[in-house]
Amino acid sequence: MTVTVSPIVLFNVEFGEPVNAELWDAITEKQLADWEADWNAELLLALQRLNRAGVDRKQWPQSRHWNWRKKTECIQKMLAYPSFSIMCDGMTQGMMILDTPSKRCRIECQKGKNLVYIEYLENAPWNRKELLFDPPRFRGIGSILILAAIMLSKEEGFNGRIGLHSLPQANSFYANSCGMTDLGIDPNYQGLHYFEMTEQQVVAFIAKGSEL
Amino acid sequence: MKIEITKEWCLRMAHLEGDAEIGAGLLSFDPILDSDLLPVSDILDEPGIVFGRFVQLMRRDHGLTIEKLAQDSDVEIAELLEIEDDAHHRPQGRTVYQLANYFKVPHRNLLQVAGLTAPRDSRIVEEGVRFAARLEPVAELSPEERAALEAFVAVIGSE
Repeated sequence: MTVTVSPIVLFNVEFGEPVNAELWDAITEKQLADWEADWNAELLLALQRLNRAGVDRKQWPQSRHWNWRKKTECIQKMLAYPSFSIMCDGMTQGMMILDTPSKRCRIECQKGKNLVYIEYLENAPWNRKELLFDPPRFRGIGSILILAAIMLSKEEGFNGRIGLHSLPQANSFYANSCGMTDLGIDPNYQGLHYFEMTEQQVVAFIAKGSEL
Repeated sequence: MKIEITKEWCLRMAHLEGDAEIGAGLLSFDPILDSDLLPVSDILDEPGIVFGRFVQLMRRDHGLTIEKLAQDSDVEIAELLEIEDDAHHRPQGRTVYQLANYFKVPHRNLLQVAGLTAPRDSRIVEEGVRFAARLEPVAELSPEERAALEAFVAVIGSE
């Protein structure tokens, strides 16, 4: 597998400084190994921490009835799709899997047009404050992965149009930071909100990072 | 695919992003721990029998082929075949959700029937076993099968 690496920068929260990182246009065995060995171990510790802290289980991060094995199998099945990962300090910090051929836009002004659909996007546990990592290690993973999806959409001739189903606690990020349109609850997708980005919103999103 | 991103853009967006959660897609849900999933044998001896027969009868009751049900419920044909034909098959959580949506029964209850979560309602377990024991997988729904199916749907459908 040929992997193209693009240089990026994340923000190291603990030291309050930028840190060089890499955007890979693939999820490889390395990322899967990190996910299985490090992400899962940290997530397990984080859940124990939430438990010890007496946090009501209802307040824990959203979970569904995946077990580790099932989730691994599902991710592996999807690796034929385009994917991206973010590497920093020799460790996977974020992963994303995209679907380019099968989904279509739902917003009226672009209804039926092709888009890049984000099938899966996840941050490493130590970058997630809700898991009581205080401070989280790195910021910026979500924005860079969204930009990567937009760039792939442009390369595919879809003018940057993207869509996704957000986890409930991430709705604010997609609505506010990314400026995507919230099309509300999708009853066919476990009640998750469906978000879509128009061509105009793509321009605004990219410009947002350039404002002083 | 090479992507040009400036350091300034990355840092500005990292600032705007803050500590927000960013997970998207069903796979980004945190998996529950294996220890939270009871072994199938602790829930029912063969939950696959109950679930498989439930799916099969609901499908036939709706007059659907496996192919049509797969298409309408957005479930893989291969998994539907395994659900109906293999009592040892353990369905994916997403599949159970999709079928619960399609058949309009509560997700939580159907997950119990499928053996993916611990039983919280003993009635569902007991009725599930009784339901499976009363059925024969023949081509047409007999009046007895229809009655059994309707009775079990009533139990599953109660919140």
